[in-house]
Amino acid sequence: MIEAYIIHLLILIGIYVILAISLQLSLGFTGLLNLGHIAFFAIGAYTSALLTLNGVPFLIAFILAGIFAMASGFLLSLLTKKLKGDYLALATIAFTYVVYSVALNWTGLTRGPLGLPGISRPSIFGISFSSNLSFLILTLVILLISYLVIKKISTSPFGRVLEAIRDDELATKILGKNTFKMKSYALAISACFAGISGSLYAHYINYIDPSSFTLMQLIPILVIVIVGGLASLRGTIVATVVLILLPEALRFVGMPSSILGPMRQIIYAVILLLILLYRPKGFYGEVELE
Amino acid sequence: MSMNIFVQLLINSLIAGAIYSLVASGFSLIYATSKFIHFAHGATVAFSSYILYFFFSMVGLNFGFSVILSIIFAVLLGLAMNLFVFKQLRRKKTSSVILLIASFALMILLESLILLLFGADVKTIGYIKVQKGLEVFGGIITPLQIVIIVTSIVLLTALFVFMKKTKLGKAMRAVSDNKDVAEIIGISSEKIYSWAFVIGSAIAGIAGILISLEQNLTTTMGTGLMIKGFTGAIIGGIGSVPGAILGSFLLGLAENFGIWFLPSGYKDAIAFVLLFIFLLFRHQGILGIKKGGENE
Repeated sequence: MIEAYIIHLLILIGIYVILAISLQLSLGFTGLLNLGHIAFFAIGAYTSALLTLNGVPFLIAFILAGIFAMASGFLLSLLTKKLKGDYLALATIAFTYVVYSVALNWTGLTRGPLGLPGISRPSIFGISFSSNLSFLILTLVILLISYLVIKKISTSPFGRVLEAIRDDELATKILGKNTFKMKSYALAISACFAGISGSLYAHYINYIDPSSFTLMQLIPILVIVIVGGLASLRGTIVATVVLILLPEALRFVGMPSSILGPMRQIIYAVILLLILLYRPKGFYGEVELE
Repeated sequence: MSMNIFVQLLINSLIAGAIYSLVASGFSLIYATSKFIHFAHGATVAFSSYILYFFFSMVGLNFGFSVILSIIFAVLLGLAMNLFVFKQLRRKKTSSVILLIASFALMILLESLILLLFGADVKTIGYIKVQKGLEVFGGIITPLQIVIIVTSIVLLTALFVFMKKTKLGKAMRAVSDNKDVAEIIGISSEKIYSWAFVIGSAIAGIAGILISLEQNLTTTMGTGLMIKGFTGAIIGGIGSVPGAILGSFLLGLAENFGIWFLPSGYKDAIAFVLLFIFLLFRHQGILGIKKGGENE
């Protein structure tokens, strides 16, 4: 029993780490005020769920989830090319709502508020990941690959240009870098990993509906990224583990689930406020959001 | 027939516009002075509705007294947010982006608190019994809806006159134009920020009361109204109070006439799409000055 619970938490942590480190790529490394990350997560989840429900093998659906999310990230970056700071934040928030409204209203495709039940557990080349333990192993493998790719990007020359854009975009432009193109790539890659974590989420929970993809859901990953520290991948992983486990403690004091949901959000919101007030760089971060 | 529908949609647009403009003008006033996007302004509106529900429907106080208490609580909430969060952040010279994220956190905090205290079920105030609508040029409007439109016009006119004629209003415009120069001539910007929160939150409180008489209360109503509020503000020109009012009425029209062509489920999506379009092509809005763009 307790083992099943721990495995469940580890899977959730794995999915959230992928989502959070992908947000680090756009928010932390590039300094893009991307508050639309949940939309990419949603696009990945819906793409993968709809494809597999229509008989497409998991692996292809999984890859397409990443590609679709990536394309939408690239499109969003083209559309918001001239926006910065507050305005970019508002545009990405609006993007979250547009995706949410489509999921809610395009009932012919997404079944709207009824959601999509019966999303199968993955099966790759005949190997089934239907047990939670095998799903955990799959999640950890994908997490490891995502981590290595994002780590590699962040330490590559391209990653250094991204950090330069964050610190001083004008200077980077003067050095002859096409900052717009770089920012687009960063957002697209960031969205791609959000998309694959969305796919994992859909196939783990087996059911998705639009309510899992509201702005409310942004709070946990935003807290993780800011508490861990911008542009710190190690900090992000530590913060994910701590922040996913922390509200679980409430379960053990016997709090009913109707209180658990809002309490969890309250805890995250208070932590976010405290960190902004007293330690804006987070625990492992070196840069502040501007 | 079609004429009647047209008049009805026009009336509905006016009612929606009246409510949105109350939310948007307070939001815009706070933005104009303190220069950050106060997301939690929507929570102030929702908070006021629930305070009214608490005092009037749960405690059983007299309606007028409950209304006054709701406005006072809304003002206190706005002031507290400014004092304990935004003022502290400003002292550390944090960027407007951090203030936006802090305000977003406050929004989630307040919505979750409302959910925790009042539960997820839909609430109704039920002060005004369902009334028979009056017929105006073939459209139907209830007396309450007339009250909403009139209250909003009176308040917005008062706000406009206040900003143009009074000393405090002029000081607010000075801080909004150029904070440093305003400080040189002896205006305390921190004091002006507090006033902007007081006035903005009081209007939000009144908006919360009017909405709770017309619609049901839900825990997420604040976020929805906030999106409408800042969409109105962006369309009209963020930071300009008349712009916010103009934008809100335009949004009301777009939403209500939009569902003539679109399935009604997309009504809310119209606001997001408009917000998006304006951010992309004219983020300074109709009346606003160019800000936050590439050249800044």
